[in-house]
Amino acid sequence: MINKLKEILNKSEHWTEIRYHNRQQTSIQIKNGEVNRVEDSTVAGVGIRCLVNGCWGFAATADMSKESLEKAVEEAASAAEVGSSLRKNKIDRIADGEIAKGNYIYTDENDDVELKEKIDLFLEAEEFIREKENIVSGVVNYSKYNDEKTILNSDGAQVNIKDIKHDIGVVSIGHNGSSQEIGSVSAGVTGGWSELFEERSLMEMVEESVNIARTKLEADYTSGGDYTVILDPMLVGVLAHEAIGHTVEADFVMSGSIVQDKIGEKVASEKITMIDNGNIDKAAGMTVVDDEGTVAQPTTIIKDGILKEYLHNRESAAEFSVEPKGNARAFTYRDEPLVRMTNTYIKEGESSFEEMVSDIDNGYYLKGLGQGGQADANAEFMFGVQEAYKIEDGKITDPVKGITISGQAFEVLNSVDAVGNDLKFALGRGYCGKGQMAKVDAGGPHLRCKVKIGGQQEGDVS
Amino acid sequence: MDEMKFANQIIEKAKRMNLDDIEVYYNSSKNLDVVWEKGDLQIPKTDLYQGFGIRVFKDGSTGFSSSNIINEEEAERVLERAAEIANITPSDESNFLPEKSDIDYVDGIVDKENNDIELVEAVEKGKEFVETFLNYDQRVKLDTANFSTNLTKKLIVNSRGTKASEEKTVFENMAMAFARENENVSSFDLSFQIACKLADLDLKEKAEELAKKVVNSLDAESVESFEGSVILTPFSALSIVASTIGFAINGENVINDMSPWADKIGDEVAIPELSVIDDAHLAGGIGSRSFDREGVAPKRLEIIKNGKLNNFIHNTYTAHKMGTKSTGHAGGGAQSKPGISPSNFIINGGDKTLDEIIANTEKGILVNRFSGNTDPISGDFSGVVKGGKYIENGEMVKSIKGVMIAGNVYELLNKISAMTAEKEFIQNYRLPHIKFENVSITGK
Repeated sequence: MINKLKEILNKSEHWTEIRYHNRQQTSIQIKNGEVNRVEDSTVAGVGIRCLVNGCWGFAATADMSKESLEKAVEEAASAAEVGSSLRKNKIDRIADGEIAKGNYIYTDENDDVELKEKIDLFLEAEEFIREKENIVSGVVNYSKYNDEKTILNSDGAQVNIKDIKHDIGVVSIGHNGSSQEIGSVSAGVTGGWSELFEERSLMEMVEESVNIARTKLEADYTSGGDYTVILDPMLVGVLAHEAIGHTVEADFVMSGSIVQDKIGEKVASEKITMIDNGNIDKAAGMTVVDDEGTVAQPTTIIKDGILKEYLHNRESAAEFSVEPKGNARAFTYRDEPLVRMTNTYIKEGESSFEEMVSDIDNGYYLKGLGQGGQADANAEFMFGVQEAYKIEDGKITDPVKGITISGQAFEVLNSVDAVGNDLKFALGRGYCGKGQMAKVDAGGPHLRCKVKIGGQQEGDVS
Repeated sequence: MDEMKFANQIIEKAKRMNLDDIEVYYNSSKNLDVVWEKGDLQIPKTDLYQGFGIRVFKDGSTGFSSSNIINEEEAERVLERAAEIANITPSDESNFLPEKSDIDYVDGIVDKENNDIELVEAVEKGKEFVETFLNYDQRVKLDTANFSTNLTKKLIVNSRGTKASEEKTVFENMAMAFARENENVSSFDLSFQIACKLADLDLKEKAEELAKKVVNSLDAESVESFEGSVILTPFSALSIVASTIGFAINGENVINDMSPWADKIGDEVAIPELSVIDDAHLAGGIGSRSFDREGVAPKRLEIIKNGKLNNFIHNTYTAHKMGTKSTGHAGGGAQSKPGISPSNFIINGGDKTLDEIIANTEKGILVNRFSGNTDPISGDFSGVVKGGKYIENGEMVKSIKGVMIAGNVYELLNKISAMTAEKEFIQNYRLPHIKFENVSITGK
């Protein structure tokens, strides 16, 4: 493959990037005792980008014949030429990061089980959910991505990448005659099948999702207001990715996101350090080499409360005179690389969970992303919370339900007065959409901070 | 390549494999896409795609596998994989292929004059929109705009004798923009047009309309909270009303007990004037199709007739679960098993003009765009009004900002007080302006 692509690349008169991507995807869905979906798909082809007269052009083809690939290079070049006549802000340079060469194979293909074994296991798990009291419905969702890429460009990148990502989600729906509640638990990994269950076995995930749904059935609603809360690693991850992370993507920065021109300014409590790093072993957003052939390095977005770096692709890195660190990602060969996050997290601190709880007189412990949520370019967010407990006089007490949190994410990070010593990547089945999808992970330690809680009373239509 | 021959060869191979039934679905597309962001042209793209999916049936079990590598060897691998999956999944009596349908081909979905449009022309079309917009008024700002074309071909062959293929062209222009005058920034507004024929897009008119809208929403003010009328534009009616009805009538949600209308066939679900039609044969309709993802020919379906729920939309599987027949609404492409999708989804029953509706409004708002959550299971929605207008004593008084609306779609369907006769095409939806009464409107 590599020689064939190299020959095509060498023939091109323009700056050219050739990216072959073969994805084998398997997905399974079990719902209420039935195998709703078992699918297996292959999506393979080549995405070609040319840079001509300061403008990009892109062409994708699934036809791997030499003639077709040559034609795709011509199309990408002519697309760029057509575009350059209209493009005002010409791209005069793209920055170099560490250019990848060689083989990056970081997952064990043999750590897997047969499809039948997976289906039987999921059927059994789903049945177990519905056997529980007050549980009316269960769902198990599973996906596997087996990716193989070859990337070459005119700057000398020449790399083979192979990795495997698995993810699983378990959902229990409880009903007690009057209300319905959902308990959802998920996991995701870049690695082998056994590694997907390293933290929790499938049965432990089932138990947890059942417990969440049943606890919520017993829980009361609460009224809203401003509170001191402890966010769990999943909510910290959602805040870091969704509410902060998108605002520091260089393309959004250039469009005028809230952190434009704020490098070097204090944007969070000095206890906060936030990083994006494609090279985190086993994390679901693991991207050791990105789709521009740049080797991943950590990007320190916030250090001790000060905004330090944005996330870049090669084009934006040149614009900002910095080094790209592996955040250009494309979901399939048909997509052009965009500035994307990988594994985004807040660094651990020194507080134990018990210490953090013991200082709160009247607050909440909030766990997991519930239903609904959105964040804007000004970092204002609203997220549903899956599980919530009151904290009274330093102790976790009764569960409550129907909670949303909202605020401005940088203000929330400014209000942090304790950072846990328990970092965890916790997005589970994490997908991010930005015109195209990306597998991502995010997390952090428990954080103590202030947020606005939106509650509701029984019978409210919110 | 001869796609029909490729598909037939797979069917022939499958006959030697001791399977009960087999279906081959193929689709190809040629896509051109040109995008402007931050006022500048971004990367122009071309994409040539083709792929096939194979579904097999054996003793009530089914297996599906797909690929976009088109050659005999790959076809054999995918066929074997589908058979292997059928072999290891439990049987379900609702798994079977539909019988061959008599297909009545739809008119007007291929633009023969422009089905080989070049990227240069697509760039020119996009430029026409962008320049008209930017030249309209110096206060207008473009966030993003695009022009794209898509030529698709789909083909289906199965062991029950179905053999059909169809082509379609789609031209699309979308833009998101705002206006700024010193520190005064309007909210974002959206323009969207789509058609099977290029000549049906009016780029200049839409560009000017968008520019006018964003300039008019400068100087937006907040209003006090009140309970009053809400007029949804077709665009906001899609995200609040049509998406919720679409969920409730989807056969998959009905059999999974997610639809609140699961046992409401024959019941009144909306005001008697309202009707919802699914019409796959609308000439030139974006959602028009002569056959669905399973080769079934769809019939014009009255989903809601005079306020009464009449029909759900089904594919073969969900229809069998409900003891009925497919309505021809199997959706999706070659990369996945058939799901369910509406064709052209039309809300009928209005007899007013927008001016009449506004003139008859004592106190209320016009919701240009809605940004928030709509939960189709409960029908609850809540969110922020974008590009909204405040109406008092029959006059549009001012632009508003920071206003939230909340309510329940299923309840509001019985509180519709007016709809326009004129409708707009948004994707495959054809929707009027819809007015509700007594909605809680939260301002400052």
